[in-house]
Parts: sequence; structure tokens; C-alpha cells
Amino acid sequence: MPTSTFDIFRYQPDTGPEHFRQTYELEHDADLTLLDAVLRLQNEQDGTLAVRYSCRSAICGSCACRADGKTVLACMSQVEDLKAQNGGQPIKVDPIGNFEPLKDLIVDMDPFWEKFKSVKPYLVPDGPAPEKERIVSKEAMQKIYNESKCILCAACYSECNSLAADADYVGPAALAWGYRFAADERDGQRTARAKLYSGEHGVWDCTRCMYCNERCPKGVDPRDAIEKLGGIAFNEGVSWADAGARHAKAFLISMRTGGKLNETLLVPFTNPIKSQLDLPFALRMLSKGKAPSPIPHRIKKLDEVKKLMKNVKETI
Amino acid sequence: MARQFAYYPGCVAEFSSKELNRTTKALAPMLDIELLPMPAATCCGAGDIAEAKPNLYLTLNVRILSQAEEMGVDIMTICNVCTLNLRRANKLVKDDPRLLEAVNEELVKAGARPYEGTREVTHLLWFLATEEGLSLLEKQGPKGLKGLRVAPYYGCQLLRPSSVMGFEDPDQPQSLERLIRALGGEVADYEAKSKCCGFPILLAREAVALKESHVALSQARDSGADCMVTPCPLCHLAMDAYQRKAEAANATEYNMPVLHLPQLIGLGLGIDTSIMEFKRHMVPVNNVLEVVGS
Ligand code: SF4
Ligand code: SF4
Ligand code: SF4
Ligand code: SF4
Repeated sequence: MPTSTFDIFRYQPDTGPEHFRQTYELEHDADLTLLDAVLRLQNEQDGTLAVRYSCRSAICGSCACRADGKTVLACMSQVEDLKAQNGGQPIKVDPIGNFEPLKDLIVDMDPFWEKFKSVKPYLVPDGPAPEKERIVSKEAMQKIYNESKCILCAACYSECNSLAADADYVGPAALAWGYRFAADERDGQRTARAKLYSGEHGVWDCTRCMYCNERCPKGVDPRDAIEKLGGIAFNEGVSWADAGARHAKAFLISMRTGGKLNETLLVPFTNPIKSQLDLPFALRMLSKGKAPSPIPHRIKKLDEVKKLMKNVKETI
Repeated sequence: MARQFAYYPGCVAEFSSKELNRTTKALAPMLDIELLPMPAATCCGAGDIAEAKPNLYLTLNVRILSQAEEMGVDIMTICNVCTLNLRRANKLVKDDPRLLEAVNEELVKAGARPYEGTREVTHLLWFLATEEGLSLLEKQGPKGLKGLRVAPYYGCQLLRPSSVMGFEDPDQPQSLERLIRALGGEVADYEAKSKCCGFPILLAREAVALKESHVALSQARDSGADCMVTPCPLCHLAMDAYQRKAEAANATEYNMPVLHLPQLIGLGLGIDTSIMEFKRHMVPVNNVLEVVGS
């Protein structure tokens, strides 16, 4: 039987305000999950060790935590696999990131639920209800299949780099749900949703760190959903309001006019007021030869690109 | 014979960060690679076109892949974001023949060559961090870094999503470390080497972005590094061009020179520093040049 060492984050607000770490050892079968390990420690060694869980089978999304710094579902992680990855070191177990700890591995999920609610994660159909159910085609469901798999475990939220810098960012899970309803053909709020999601702290705040796609245990790919919400915002014509959308627009104009990014366009177009105020910075860039060339580049065979831009239809 | 690649430097290396493009071209013959130009290639869209018009993003990138196919070679990039965008498009059409067919229909209609799905996209870093690449370096007697303490900075999009990138474990990347050591440098390790630099939202959400770059810059400083190195010119803009702004926004100082990957290799191989155009950096690299004695 293997023996493993666990180095666990502790926080017991009833007995003291400080965070500390505690080491436990456990002899166990080779197929023990991290969740079962923590539960055995709780049962056999330390009844104060707090952890949240329910289904034990990667369905309820309660047991997300960090193992060696990486957010996982504890019930989906094998202790022996973790040791193989870290070279047999003690396994570091921490609560998920971007949350305040409440007790040991349990965090305060309220902000996550508030943001989830803020995207209106339910169908708002247009017009009166039909006599029977609303039938949806297989193809229409396929569009939102990935996002429908979300179990709200917050593994994505835990490692979102935009959230770490801006606690008000609505975050990957809520936006994935936003897309799931915006793209549902039974929903009648597409334009309103596009507006709701693309304001401050929304779609255009995602820094594309790709951690959400990397960590999601369910293959939701929240970053891809956010990208699709950007596409919906463009289609719904709400795209000019935000600097993030204008940034994307500058790329499209560059593409049409030269085939390559026209940096002269990018800064003033994205942020017209700020780019004027930032003169000292602009001059520093200029002195280093980092100012964009006033003559936009033109690739060979630009006519192909122009035709593609005219012809290619968006199906989002 | 020199190994040939279709060279895709990306927009930033061709314009704002010319020093990256020029250094790469100067290095190529020493590394026994030939970088063939792609005069009809567009911008990859940097994720921005994908965010506005996903089908257009895919078609434009497949058009680039097809140009490399026509040349009979694979693509080499020097930018994280280009690598992700091209690889993602490649994976999408390789995994789905019906999608490839639909994209090809558009390409043909526009007079462009259809794609057969036979090409690969690699980054200079990946090429060099393999046995083949390291042995090419070895031939040049690459010990010129003389113990320079270098903090490797990967950024995001060369590592994640690993389903598209897949060169190395995104949580324990080692390719930059391998190169730093092969060139005679020392690795300054720190946790945030694969966190985001904030570049994608730097123009639209500057305050948020500057908090992001702070994480890596401050940790690199605290690790005692002489400089950072990055495989991505966008990361370079965020970390170098915007470093003074990040200092002001976070009320601190980093004084952290940031090298493009090919510049680090150039220093290791001892090429003429004037070719590498450090004068185009916003943060001076004098301390680095002192250590390596250039
Ligand atoms: S555990 Fe669940 S996802 Fe994991 S464990 Fe439980 S409840 Fe779930
Ligand atoms: S890609 Fe965007 S939403 Fe996903 S984790 Fe990164 S910043 Fe957050
Ligand atoms: S998107 Fe994935 S990681 Fe995020 S909450 Fe849903 S299931 Fe969890
Ligand atoms: S670090 Fe930032 S700029 Fe560099 S690849 Fe990642 S997202 Fe892009």
C-alpha cells in the first residue's frame, strides 16, 4: 500500500485569524481520489478539516480545489497521478483561487453566484407560450452543447487571470452560460443579452489567458463561448459601444485595406480620448522607433482577402 | 542542406518590434534554417477577428496554411498569438473534413488555393528546444551568456490550450529553461512565468492589464533575474514598452530588461549586438550586455 503526504491549507476562523499549513500522512489503496483522501483524513485523523463535496462523481461541482497549484475536481483526481506529476513530493492542497476562504478548503462562493445570476441564466422566450413544448432541432442544440455541460464548479474562475486583476469581471463560467442562452433559438433576448454581456467587466475584459479552457473538467471551453459572444455582439450591432469591440473592428478594417494590422489605426480607434491624453507615452514610443508607420502595409493578392471578407457568412 | 520553413513573423514583429524580425533573420543561417517569405499572407487576426467574425478568422488562416502547402514546407512563427491562431485553424479543419470542404469552397470562390490539410505550424522556440535544435546550437559553441540570470516568461498562448498547442506541459514548461542553460545562462525561476501579460486588453482595459503584467514583472524582479526572455512580441510590448506605465500604476519599480527569444540566442552565440537593435527597447539592457561582455 502506498503512503502519501498532504500539505493542506488551513484556516479555522473560530480559533484564530491566521492561515497556516498542516501536513498529514495516509496509507491508502492505489486508486484513492484526492477527495477520498481528504475525507479519510477528516474521519480518521482530524475532524476539524473542512471540505465541501456532495456527489463524489464529478457531477455536482462542489469539490473543486487546488492540487499542487492547479485547480481540479478533487473527486476526479487520483492521488497516485498527482504524485507521478510532482515527482513524489507531498501534495499541496489549497482552496480555489479568486475567492475568499471561509474555512480550510471551503470558500465563499457568493460572488460567483451573484455573477451567475447577473447573466440571466434562464430562457426568456419571445411572445406567448405555444400550446405544447418548443421543439428544438438537433443542430440548434449542437451549438450550445459544450456550454450546457457546465457544472458550475468554478475551476475556470479559480484561475482566470482577468479576475485576479479585476474582481468585478463577470468571469468565464457566467459568460459561458450567457452564451448558452443567447445562442438558444428559443430565447428572445439575443440583442439585450449581447448588450448586457458586453459592457464593463464583461466579454471584452477577457485577457485570453486560456486557463479556463485548460482547467475546465467538463470540456466547456468558456473562452470559446466568450469569443462567440463577441461574434454575437457584432452581429447584433452593439459592437461600437465598447473599446474592446472597437479594437476588434480595427483589425477588420486593417484586413480589408492592407491584409495586415495597421497599428496607426489600432490605438486611436480603440481608445480615441485616451490616446490623445497619452502624448508623453506616445512620444517615448516614437523615440524608440515603435511608432506605427503612416503607410499601411499591402500584402500580395489582397483581392482574395477582399472577396473573402465580402463572401464569408457568419453562422453564429 | 538548410531546413526550410515558410516564415510567418506576424504583424508586430514586422512593424512595432522590427528588432525581433531582424534578429531572427540574422540568426537563421547560423541555425541552418532558411526562412522563406510569405508575401501574400495576411495577419492571423490575433484572436480579435475570431472574436468578431469566427468564420472569417478560420478562412483567412486556412488561406495562410494553404500558401505554405503550396511552398511545400511547414510554417515557422516567432509570436505566441500567431502560433495559436494558425494551429487552431489547422486543427479545426484537420479534425473535420466537412469543415475543410466548406472553407475550401470559399477559398476557391475568392480565387485562392484550397488547403489539403498537410502542413504543421511550429514556433522557433519549439524547433530549438528539441534534440535537433539544441544540437544546432551546440555546433555554434553557444556559451556566451556567462551565467546571466534569465527569467523565462512564456505568457499564455504558446502553452494553452494544450489541446491545440501540445508541445509541453503547460503547467511545467521547460523549453525556455533548456535554451537558457544551453546558452550558458542561469534560470531565475518564478511562479508567474506562464501567467498572462495582459496584452490582449492593454488598449481597451489598461488598468486591468497593468495589474496583470505586474504579477510576472514583480516576481521576475524578486527572483533576482538580470532580465526576462519571451517568445512573444506582444508579451514584449506589454512587459517592455508598457513597463514604466506598470511601475506607475503599481507604485513600484522593476527595472527589468526584457529580451526577445532570438536576442537571447544572439547573445549566447555572440552575434554583433547592433543587429539585435536593443536601442529599440524602452527598458535599457545595459546590465545584460555588461554580464555577457558585449
Ligand atoms: S464531488 Fe462533486 S464534483 Fe466532486 S465531488 Fe463531489 S460533488 Fe462533486
Ligand atoms: S481566457 Fe478569459 S475568461 Fe478564460 S480564464 Fe482567461 S481571462 Fe478568464
Ligand atoms: S465552465 Fe467548466 S470549469 Fe467553469 S464552472 Fe463550468 S464546468 Fe466548471
Ligand atoms: S502573454 Fe499575453 S500577449 Fe503574450 S500570448 Fe499571452 S495573452 Fe498574448
